[in-house]
Amino acid sequence: MPMLSDRGPRPPERDRGPPGLSGPALKRRVAPVRVEATVHPVVVLAAAAVGAGLLTWFASGRSKRLDPAASGGRRYAPRGSAVTASAAQRLNHASTMLAASVLFDSGLEHYRGQFFNRAMYTPIIVSSVTLAASMHGAGDTDPGGSRVRHGVQALAGLTGLIGFGFHTYNVGKREGGYSFQNLFYSAPIGAPMALTLAGILGVVAERVRDADPDAPELSGLPAGKVLALATAGMLLGTTAEAGLLHFRGAFQNPAMLLPVTLPPLGAVALALAATRAPGASQTEAKAAMWAVSAMGIIGVAFHAYGVARMMGGWGNWRQNLIDGPPLPAPPSFSGVALGGLAALELLERRRSRF
Amino acid sequence: MQSRKDLFPGYNVLAKRDTPSWNPKTRSVIDERLAITPRTHRFLDATEFATLLAVAGRIVPQPAGRTDPVPAAAMVDHKLASREHDGYRQAGLPEQGAAWRLGLKALDAEARAAFGAAFGELGAWAQDTLLKACEDGSLRGPAWDDMPSDLFFKKRLIPDLVKAYYAHPTAWNEIGWGGPASPRGYVRMDFDRRDPWEAAEAKPGREDEAYQENLRVGR
Repeated sequence: MPMLSDRGPRPPERDRGPPGLSGPALKRRVAPVRVEATVHPVVVLAAAAVGAGLLTWFASGRSKRLDPAASGGRRYAPRGSAVTASAAQRLNHASTMLAASVLFDSGLEHYRGQFFNRAMYTPIIVSSVTLAASMHGAGDTDPGGSRVRHGVQALAGLTGLIGFGFHTYNVGKREGGYSFQNLFYSAPIGAPMALTLAGILGVVAERVRDADPDAPELSGLPAGKVLALATAGMLLGTTAEAGLLHFRGAFQNPAMLLPVTLPPLGAVALALAATRAPGASQTEAKAAMWAVSAMGIIGVAFHAYGVARMMGGWGNWRQNLIDGPPLPAPPSFSGVALGGLAALELLERRRSRF
Repeated sequence: MQSRKDLFPGYNVLAKRDTPSWNPKTRSVIDERLAITPRTHRFLDATEFATLLAVAGRIVPQPAGRTDPVPAAAMVDHKLASREHDGYRQAGLPEQGAAWRLGLKALDAEARAAFGAAFGELGAWAQDTLLKACEDGSLRGPAWDDMPSDLFFKKRLIPDLVKAYYAHPTAWNEIGWGGPASPRGYVRMDFDRRDPWEAAEAKPGREDEAYQENLRVGR
């Protein structure tokens, strides 16, 4: 095959100075001499995120494991014996899931956006830090909260709100303003709120940890009820986001209807659970929450199938991972549903087995 | 010809040949195109092809230093020999092969009548004079056989030569075009955004950056 050797590997022609000079004046660079270009900027960003996460982990202190659960078989992931500690751990499972979802989703989408605005680095660092704090809390069986984790989670909640502002501005400044076209194809308006949800659930985890195990309260209100209603609202918000984007996808696969039907049912189950007497059994609501959790995980598989269906399939992953259905998005449903399970645990006033 | 500034330094669209940007069909089509050498002609005879070469040299001139110039004339002949038509035709012109044969013969006859030499042997000024007259429709010698020279110029000569020129990877490198995009298309569609597999345009004073980016296009 003839090659275009006039476009061969040589740097662009430079100004070679006045003609007539010869020898060293005509020195032409043959190969690029830059070395620093071998480290991709994305690698630097990933290293920064990991570093910030590790710092948070160590700053949160050692989990004291004063009171590991007495449930004999649990060798891995021990649970606190107090219902508040157990629910707080579950809330941290929820914030872990949401923070991880935000980390990978914002990483992918902001990489697509070429970090055009410097602020686009923020969610990657903040969600890494939130992820570390959440994972730290998930392993902490101690009833007392941690100030570092509390602060980090509050930061996440705030960052998500600011991100929501940025995305709202981005949609509005486009030609056509708040039209469906722009809601579909510019910055996803609901996405940053997932970080806020992670922050809220993380903050609540620390508050619940500090609460009285016999009558846990949040700002003077019964913790179980408040949290159940809050997670029900979060489920509806996440449904709105999924609904918008699945509507963009014309619900071309019937499975795309699942995330707009199952979570609202779960939200209703949570709201009903909040009306029952404290201590009552919440079997149905728990089943609904597990179903929504499972849906979030299965959604990743469906989205992977969606990527495979795009032109070029997984062989063209550099385009299709970005253009296809986002792999990290569905687990945010699982995250919110785990928060719902924590609420049910508080409503039942006893630790759940799982 | 005055050498132009290289806006896409280091960019070679053929580096994308074995990436997901091209599928087997694309590869075979481009391989066939690249196999055309500047002097291949199967449809036109030697005289007609010599005229076409000279015409192409005036319509789509190329820098003298190019080691792999676009064989625009041979690509037009390839199109005629393959009997691939556009799917539409100016009603005042005969079928593409007949139009080209007639037009090239007529141009040659006009050259001999006006300057006493074959079209291909004339200098650039004389060739341009004839081509301009052709464009005006003022060439009306008997060799045209009632074919309007301006229609031939505007609806056959220019479209075929320009399309042939810009169907070649050398021209794609020149203008920084990404080439075929199947299966892999483009993701970053906004103004001033660029996918890593797109050509990078050199901003003044930052040619080295564009050069580095363009080396990565084939990854």
